[in-house]
Amino acid sequence: MEAHKLSPTKLYICDKARSSSSSEIIFGFSGSWDLSDWFTHEPFGLTKINLNIFPSLKTIGWNKAASVNQGFLQKFDALLANTSLIHEVEAAATENKQIVFTGHSSGGPIAIFATLWYLEIRNQKNLSHLPPHCVTFGSPLVGDRIFGHSLKRQHYYQHFTHFVMKYDIIPRISLAPLSAIERQLSPILNYFNPESPVYSSDAIAANPEASRLFLTVMRSASSVTSHAACKFMGCTNPLLENLTNFIELSPYRPFGTYVFCSGNGKFVMVENPDAILQILFYSLQATSQAEWANMALKSLKDHLSYEHEFLKSNEMATVAYLEHLEALPLSEHMGESQILTINNALNDLGLSARARLCLRASGELEIQRARNYNKISSNKIKIEEGLTMLERYQTNCEDRKVGYYDAFKLQKHTEDFNNNIRRLELAGSWDEIIEMMNRYELPDEFEGQKEWIEIGTRYRRLVEPLDIANYYRHLKNEDTGPYMDKARPTRYRHTQRWLEHGLKTKPDPLPESCFWAEVEELSIHTCNQQFSEDVMQRIILLERKVSLWVENRLLGKDIFLDGTTFTQWWNMLPIQHRSVSCIKDLFHMDSPVFVGHI
Amino acid sequence: MQMKTLLEKSKSIVITGHSVGGALASLTALWLLSYHQTIPTPPKVLCITFGSPLLGNKSLSKSLLRQRWAGNFCHVVLKHDIVPRLLFAPLDSMESHLHFFLQYIQLSMISQFNQLPLHVSQEMKSQLFSFALAYTEAVAKVTNENSVAPGLFWPFGSYLLCSEDGAICVDNSVSVIKLLHLMMATGDPCSGSYLEDHLRYGSCVDKLTFQVLMNKGFIQGDVPMSSYEAGLALSLESSGLANQETVSGQAKDCLKAAKQIGVAPPNLNSARLAITLAKITPHRAQIEWYKTCCDKSDDQLGYYDSFKQRQASKRDNQVNMFRIKLANFWDSVITKIDNNQLPHDFHKRWKFINAAHFYQLLVEPLDIAEYYRSGEQYRKGHYLRNGRERRHEIFSKWWKEKDVVEEESKRSKFASLTQDSCFWARVEEARELVEKVRTERDLRNVALLWEDIEEFERYAREMIENMEVSCDVIASNSSYSLWEKQVRLLRSQVHS
Repeated sequence: MEAHKLSPTKLYICDKARSSSSSEIIFGFSGSWDLSDWFTHEPFGLTKINLNIFPSLKTIGWNKAASVNQGFLQKFDALLANTSLIHEVEAAATENKQIVFTGHSSGGPIAIFATLWYLEIRNQKNLSHLPPHCVTFGSPLVGDRIFGHSLKRQHYYQHFTHFVMKYDIIPRISLAPLSAIERQLSPILNYFNPESPVYSSDAIAANPEASRLFLTVMRSASSVTSHAACKFMGCTNPLLENLTNFIELSPYRPFGTYVFCSGNGKFVMVENPDAILQILFYSLQATSQAEWANMALKSLKDHLSYEHEFLKSNEMATVAYLEHLEALPLSEHMGESQILTINNALNDLGLSARARLCLRASGELEIQRARNYNKISSNKIKIEEGLTMLERYQTNCEDRKVGYYDAFKLQKHTEDFNNNIRRLELAGSWDEIIEMMNRYELPDEFEGQKEWIEIGTRYRRLVEPLDIANYYRHLKNEDTGPYMDKARPTRYRHTQRWLEHGLKTKPDPLPESCFWAEVEELSIHTCNQQFSEDVMQRIILLERKVSLWVENRLLGKDIFLDGTTFTQWWNMLPIQHRSVSCIKDLFHMDSPVFVGHI
Repeated sequence: MQMKTLLEKSKSIVITGHSVGGALASLTALWLLSYHQTIPTPPKVLCITFGSPLLGNKSLSKSLLRQRWAGNFCHVVLKHDIVPRLLFAPLDSMESHLHFFLQYIQLSMISQFNQLPLHVSQEMKSQLFSFALAYTEAVAKVTNENSVAPGLFWPFGSYLLCSEDGAICVDNSVSVIKLLHLMMATGDPCSGSYLEDHLRYGSCVDKLTFQVLMNKGFIQGDVPMSSYEAGLALSLESSGLANQETVSGQAKDCLKAAKQIGVAPPNLNSARLAITLAKITPHRAQIEWYKTCCDKSDDQLGYYDSFKQRQASKRDNQVNMFRIKLANFWDSVITKIDNNQLPHDFHKRWKFINAAHFYQLLVEPLDIAEYYRSGEQYRKGHYLRNGRERRHEIFSKWWKEKDVVEEESKRSKFASLTQDSCFWARVEEARELVEKVRTERDLRNVALLWEDIEEFERYAREMIENMEVSCDVIASNSSYSLWEKQVRLLRSQVHS
């Protein structure tokens, strides 16, 4: 089954192998052997992903797009534009078949992009078709950390399975910078090209250039993995920080489920991306100096031996699943029965005590994230309490007929002050969350969680007006500039983006929680009774939005009370404008404007 | 000169040297780093030395840490190499040994194929070895780090200590000295390896890169269960001391100590600080609220004078406590900066610049009020010159140095906080000037005093015209308003 998927991938561009019996449809993608398709530019050939095709592949809060290999992405874009792939996938989906995208070598990244493309369409359009699967064999790495992070958050992880032979060099190749491997890589790619005369030729594999390539890749992999390990083990040596200024390390990171094949019919499955990165390096270590030349040879041959491996192990494959990394056995000899399989798996991969320590640390890191998450969750009750108190305050203000915003801005009563303290305490809790997210100290899924999107939105709608009130009360705009451009805290920017991502809507430059900031800015612009074209348009836009917001209950009616900043400002507008405004009927009927002047 | 043109072109510079060249490389790097402080976008500097002798004393090591330059230096030292240890010995007792040593090195460099010169006696070799070892040991035994003689050489930066089994990187200078001693102590005095090691760095680098790629680190014997112990055992193995029974215990303790010194990394600290800042901000809000109450109160004293003349009421005491808590927080920030525990660009982060500035504008007037309230000016002199806390000096500097150029815009209302946080200190000094004018007999001095008074008057008027003061300044019973009245009175007396 697995094996015959493999053969078409090499020979045809996007051929569909219909397996006769099942309801599966398989799209296999062929690789490319041209160096320029692998690395488009130095040092690592990365580009920002196109968020129009892949809207979820970013960090939500900071809105940073994932970076991916430009060469492979371009190939995929061309495929999408020039072939009938779209139609065929759609046809297969409507028949409700299980779609599988697959590829060997550089066909792997194409399969990954195709899977993502389809997952994103499914997600955007809320389709209920079966989710696709992606299976790659010896695929090079595709994206950076944000790429993996966003995939995990979107729950796309389980759709990706990557098979990697223990010694295969290609899954590690992107850990080295182009400049270091450019010269050797071209001939090696010919070695993998079935149409090349030197395909699988020993003359190439035994060439010293091949072992030089192998060494370079190993060295780069060693730097990347040790740096990563130092980071998550909490190394404090200042030299480490300084060195990263001198050596640009590869930003590529693995994602999805990796299945390492040790070559004797045994498979090891790993899901933790930090651990996978470590294994990519440590499983390639040699035990003696004499082994080097042989290792280089193996590293090339392994890339072509997937088919063979699967034919061989079709029936009797044993799979070990690496989990609970934090408690891995450290020595090859520890053999209590329950961990025997795990230990055998680790030995098969040739992982030393040092490697195992790194795996333990990556497991520990995951646990730490879960711990942080629990801590924040326990904080949630406190946040909710604060919000409830503020809601009560909001109602009280309305009863006092001053409006929530203006009552807070005036700060006349002790109650106003107490709620200022509450505002600051809440800000502390949220800043802590944002700060943790920023350092990847929370589980990747955090930003997509419904309950947190909800409480974040509630917080933003309730408290941001108070922040704005405080800002303009202290005339900070005269020091710093308009609130929206210069001073809007990240905790509101992020929670807004969480919601927009959850609802799959476009970013709104003026969300309802910033209503008061726009009012304040417009009153500053119109205080001299001059209305430029630009300002008039802003006013009309705001009015249109206000009527929508009020209709959807995103804004309280208290903004129309007499004497609020908004009412005062609006009443200053020219009568010609007010008489046709879409919100004129929303103001209180006892307001003198309407009775008197119209 | 060549350096300066290089600096303009390059983004990063690596400086390196072997033996005495290593010390020269360190000096060059130090010069570069100092020079960089004067140019806007300096290139990055990394200095790697091989078998370099020691260069400076403990003060140098300390000040490098404070400047955050320790991470720019990496000293590679081979297991037995004598040169990096040699200067632990005092110069006067060393001369003959040094002479022998230099001659030896020179000869072995000249002789090709590294054939060792024959005339070196075993006796001389072992003498030199035990001489250097004894002094290294003496330094390594120093338990109290602070009692070190200022003349003693002391390591700085990170040391990469290489053995046949790997290498370890240590940046804690006490641990570096101890390991330097322990590694040398395992050497054989007669073999002369301590001399040859000094010339073996070329092959050492090649070997090291290979070692990393080798599948090593299966610990011999019992494997500890805890990751921490296992990690320790691994680094011990890399140091090549694991199988040397006499020293392995000591080496282990020493590695433990080296690890413990490393507290939380700077960026983690700054993140924690952000959280503490959020927690301390409510105190600031309490003070803001207090200010509003004072400014609105009927006695028209204003914020500054209300606090200065406060009674023992509960609220006043509370405000004073908030003031002290905030001061503690900001002082702790500054201590962290001094001790290198925060990222190097910390003082350029907007969040903290703004928070510190706001804190200063709000609370420094209270610090000034407290100063003059408790009569410190009679003991120490005026606040501005003698009483200002270091934190305020530093925050003023941050604010002044911030990157963004501010557009001049006219204020529409009085600022919520007086924009010169030292305004009240200047008022206090002006008050003293008025007192002096009253009692001064010498007409020339009176004229000088009047000049100062007028200068302050101009400054204060300008502040008020530009609305850069908060409304407490012009409250009718504030120190400033009273002072203005006095001056007016004084003038009319002079004229009549």
